[in-house]
Amino acid sequence: MSEDLSSKYILQTAGFDARFPNTNQTRHCFQNYTDYFKCIAAKGEDFAPCKQFKRAYNSLCPNEWIAKWDDQRENGNFPASLEP
Amino acid sequence: MNLELLRLNLQFNPYHLVPQSPWPILVSFSLLAYTQSGVMFMHGYPYGGALLTLGFILTTFGMVLWFRDIIKEATFEGAHTTQVQNGLVIGFVLFIVSEAFAFLSIFWAFFHSALSPAIEIGGCWPPQGITALNPFAIPLLNTILLLSSGAFVTYGHHALLQGNRKGAISGTLITVVLAIIFTALQGYEYAQAPFTIADSVFGSAFFCSTGLHGLHVIIGTLFILVGLFRIINYHFTTKHHLGYEASILYWHFVDVVWLFLFIAIYYWGSN
Repeated sequence: MSEDLSSKYILQTAGFDARFPNTNQTRHCFQNYTDYFKCIAAKGEDFAPCKQFKRAYNSLCPNEWIAKWDDQRENGNFPASLEP
Repeated sequence: MNLELLRLNLQFNPYHLVPQSPWPILVSFSLLAYTQSGVMFMHGYPYGGALLTLGFILTTFGMVLWFRDIIKEATFEGAHTTQVQNGLVIGFVLFIVSEAFAFLSIFWAFFHSALSPAIEIGGCWPPQGITALNPFAIPLLNTILLLSSGAFVTYGHHALLQGNRKGAISGTLITVVLAIIFTALQGYEYAQAPFTIADSVFGSAFFCSTGLHGLHVIIGTLFILVGLFRIINYHFTTKHHLGYEASILYWHFVDVVWLFLFIAIYYWGSN
């Protein structure tokens, strides 16, 4: 069973990004979150390269931050531009 | 100098041994009432506004009566000898230094928030959704007004040094008029601003820095106005006019702080 899962899914976290060299990766998480929604706004949700941003922010951001930002996007008070 | 020699016939030291005065303790309690009621007013406590008005009146009256006594001692009793003036100059310069550090702390707060903007404000400065003021509109005009007021106060000072009464009065008067126009334009800009003090750390940093400066402009204007009143009333000589010189120093300090505000907050901080 476990062999099946490991062949099916690749477990990996976001790699090093030279724009965010500090231990604190808050901005790294936030940048990937905004980049993902900019990306799908420009290319559509099915555009495969956008998925990289989603994987990165899901690996970097605490779930409650993602939930908070999703709410903010719905309410239109997310504190960054998501226009592509 | 003749007056000082005359005074030495009555007193064998050049120092000003101040008499008992009710004003220090009165002003202390007035300031306590003023600041406490200021907090009460801003937090919407009952009678906060009335107590704040009382605090303002008490502080203003206390200061006016205290300064009236100082003018009596200095101008009419000759208590401010060269030695005493030396101490007053050192004291005033140290006061300006303490003011400089007060402004430094406000600038520190601004740069802390603006150089590395938090993600909560969109990671950018000005924050997402904030429209900053155009620095090349009223702020640039205000820069010109303050700089030229500094030039006029220098003219007034040199006129006073040369015993040119008309020049001293007109130079100082024009300084005060330019200062009042500056304050009026700042008031207009505050009323027209598309953000408030409650609009994120941008609004807080903007209004705390420019507001503290505006308060200093108002105090400096009153300080120079007292100097003008004393020139008109023949309180000053070409050699002895320390209060006027202190007001000039204060005014230049306020001027320099504005230049830093203009460069850092209005220009650099707006895009």
